[in-house]
Amino acid sequence: MDPLAGMDDSTTDDDNASQTTEDDPQVPDNHPPAPPPTQHAPQSVPQSLPPAISGARERPNYELRHTLRGHTQSISAVKFSPDGTLLASCAADNLVKLWSPFTGELIRNLSGHTKGLSDIAWSADGVYLASASDDTSIRIWNVDSGLTTKHLKGHTSFVFCVNYNTTSNLLVSGGCDGDVRIWNVARGKCMKTFHAHLDYVTAVHFNRDATLIVSCALDGLIRIWNTTTGQCLKTLAEGHDAVCQHVQFSPNSKYILSTAHDSAIRLWDYHTSRCLKTYMGHRNEKFCIAACFSVTGGKWIVSGSEDNKVYIWDLQSREVVQNLEGHGGVVVAVATHPQQNMIASGSIEPDLTIRIWTDRGSPS
Amino acid sequence: MNASLLNPFTVTHPTAVQTSLVSGASLARFDPSGKFVAAGRSDGSAAIWDLDTRAAIRWCEGHVKAVTSVDWSRNSRYVLTSSKDWNVIVWDLASPMDPPQRYTTIRFDAPVVSAYFHPRNSRIVLALLSTGEAYVVDSRKEHRARVELCEGLSEGDDERARYAPRLPAFSIMTTARFDPSGRNVFVGTSTGNVLVFNSRTKTMVARHRIAGAGSIKSLEFAKTGRRFATNSTDRTIRQFILPTYPSPGVGVECAILETELEPTHRFNDPISKVAWHAMSYSPDGEWLAGGAADPATHKIYIWDISNDGQFATALDGGREPLIDIHWHPHASRLASTTNQGSVLIWHCPSPERWGAFAGGFEEADENVMYEEGESEFDVENEVEFAMRKKLQEDENVDILGGVDDLVDHQVNGVAGDPDDEDLEWADDELDDDQQGWRLKVIMVDDDDTY
Repeated sequence: MDPLAGMDDSTTDDDNASQTTEDDPQVPDNHPPAPPPTQHAPQSVPQSLPPAISGARERPNYELRHTLRGHTQSISAVKFSPDGTLLASCAADNLVKLWSPFTGELIRNLSGHTKGLSDIAWSADGVYLASASDDTSIRIWNVDSGLTTKHLKGHTSFVFCVNYNTTSNLLVSGGCDGDVRIWNVARGKCMKTFHAHLDYVTAVHFNRDATLIVSCALDGLIRIWNTTTGQCLKTLAEGHDAVCQHVQFSPNSKYILSTAHDSAIRLWDYHTSRCLKTYMGHRNEKFCIAACFSVTGGKWIVSGSEDNKVYIWDLQSREVVQNLEGHGGVVVAVATHPQQNMIASGSIEPDLTIRIWTDRGSPS
Repeated sequence: MNASLLNPFTVTHPTAVQTSLVSGASLARFDPSGKFVAAGRSDGSAAIWDLDTRAAIRWCEGHVKAVTSVDWSRNSRYVLTSSKDWNVIVWDLASPMDPPQRYTTIRFDAPVVSAYFHPRNSRIVLALLSTGEAYVVDSRKEHRARVELCEGLSEGDDERARYAPRLPAFSIMTTARFDPSGRNVFVGTSTGNVLVFNSRTKTMVARHRIAGAGSIKSLEFAKTGRRFATNSTDRTIRQFILPTYPSPGVGVECAILETELEPTHRFNDPISKVAWHAMSYSPDGEWLAGGAADPATHKIYIWDISNDGQFATALDGGREPLIDIHWHPHASRLASTTNQGSVLIWHCPSPERWGAFAGGFEEADENVMYEEGESEFDVENEVEFAMRKKLQEDENVDILGGVDDLVDHQVNGVAGDPDDEDLEWADDELDDDQQGWRLKVIMVDDDDTY
């Protein structure tokens, strides 16, 4: 609000530029890149680039690499293993499938659930995979053997979301009864139940040191919990017409990224309850669509959309920087590779494919 | 990082028991990350407890007699147990099995009273035997040695021997600790002296007489700030300012510094005159906790060091008498062990704030007169509002950096100037205890064990 007069001019230019991109998300590639917004100071993140280059934002250049077919019903989640060598997917056809993201081959099916699956999560060492199912149970799979190591029972309704903490000794899950449960992974026992929400809990996530849990539900609230005491520490209410369906901590756990049914993805500072960034341009009014951070190259926000595309936004400028087209159905699941510039996306019926997209650097 | 959100209140010492780990333990130590507790038992085993799941995750079974002390290496990979069976065992928790693999076993020819890792390198172990001798055992290839710490003679000793021949020339060592930097070893003796040895040269650099203390039972250092406290048989905890000592050169005979240390504070219970089993500083050094050796109650006294050592509170942990306490490395938590083998974990509970369940609400303790801002209810131009919001959203955010991992607060962060001979010596042939390793989660099949 208090920049100098000269700054005001440049921000107006930038304002117009970003508005056109939001009205027409399909920016042709020959579109001249937006004028370097001068009010952005060069990032403090050590980038050994001279300031002249870092001013002009780079754009991602993802291209379709593989299309993985195999699921027979709607795909609900895709996740890369922590070392990036495997991609796991789950779907309403009761199966977890493990793929090689580099060759696109199916490696293994994990079968055992008796109803559809909603979410999967990798343990930090990549040895185990947890899956949340509508059969009200969670299974922890040994990925190498393909066998169920633990079968966690306790939820009274469909289990909708699941996540490990970084040390992977705890698992948090959210159910359609509004409960959030914390599990002791080694024993396969429920340690704690929070009656967290009044509606489907659609996402739960631990922060880095597992002291906090963030949850969101179809009751429209995002809540932050103290893991050890189970106390609710904060509630973030979305806008009036926004039902939040996915939420996660940023990699450094300072912010929360949430998606909502008003077709907006928001980045929150949960200490001040302030919305710092709003990412718009995609369509999300009906389905539970995940968003994620991409930090391997440029800093992007990646999300699926109900117009069958994958959207990539610039984290800072909030512009749509690329659309990935190819899916023939609503894209509900996206994941970013932990080390490489690679995105996996999964789509519901009638498409039923997982697509792997890679960025081989900017075209020269 | 989230301390303000997790606990917005200013009381920083624990006030209530959060959980009790039934472990048959006689002593319990938090690891430097604060996620685990190692509990030594009188049957010779030690259990590693995970505080997240409140379950024992590893059993270190190797001794045939009671465990007398446990210690953690700086990044929690190695655990040391000393025992009355004359052995010190170093366990490697990075081994993906239970019980964990032994890294090494150090044998002595007497029961071991206590053993500690060097704060910078777990290959150097300080052990105190029940015969009153202290050894520094170095298992590094280049420095492999077992050196007894011998009290040096000084002129005063000669005279004392002449005029008072009944006094023993050498006193029995009753406690031995590294200081937080690892430069020196502090030894308490049965005659009320604190002897200081250089860890590298193993030569004695100072002898401090502590008047009226009787036998020194234990020594405890504050992690930040140069303070230490002694517990002695006169039922008083004394706090001292840690003097600085010159680093002795190799082969150079150094004069032994002989001083009488004057305590900055004396802590005792003036009414019941209770003795102390153990004491522990809070991580910021602002509180000192003393575990009372009361045969019928479980009492922890807490003194406020920042407030001139004023007595703050006495925590009551029930009827099982206390035998050991240890403060969490970075939180306001305490572990106290009862003589029945329970480890009580104390915390600082925060009251439930029901306002947290509603977005945008804040609880007020009392009625607050609302002061309306100057332009609060002005009708704002929507375009201007959108513009302002956009400007606000243009601020850069950092989603990766600024992570203050708790490990940074540990002793390995002790700054020293780069050519400090003592630290260089300690950092030579560093152990494999690197930051960022993770304890593997071992699935438990049998549900009956705890």
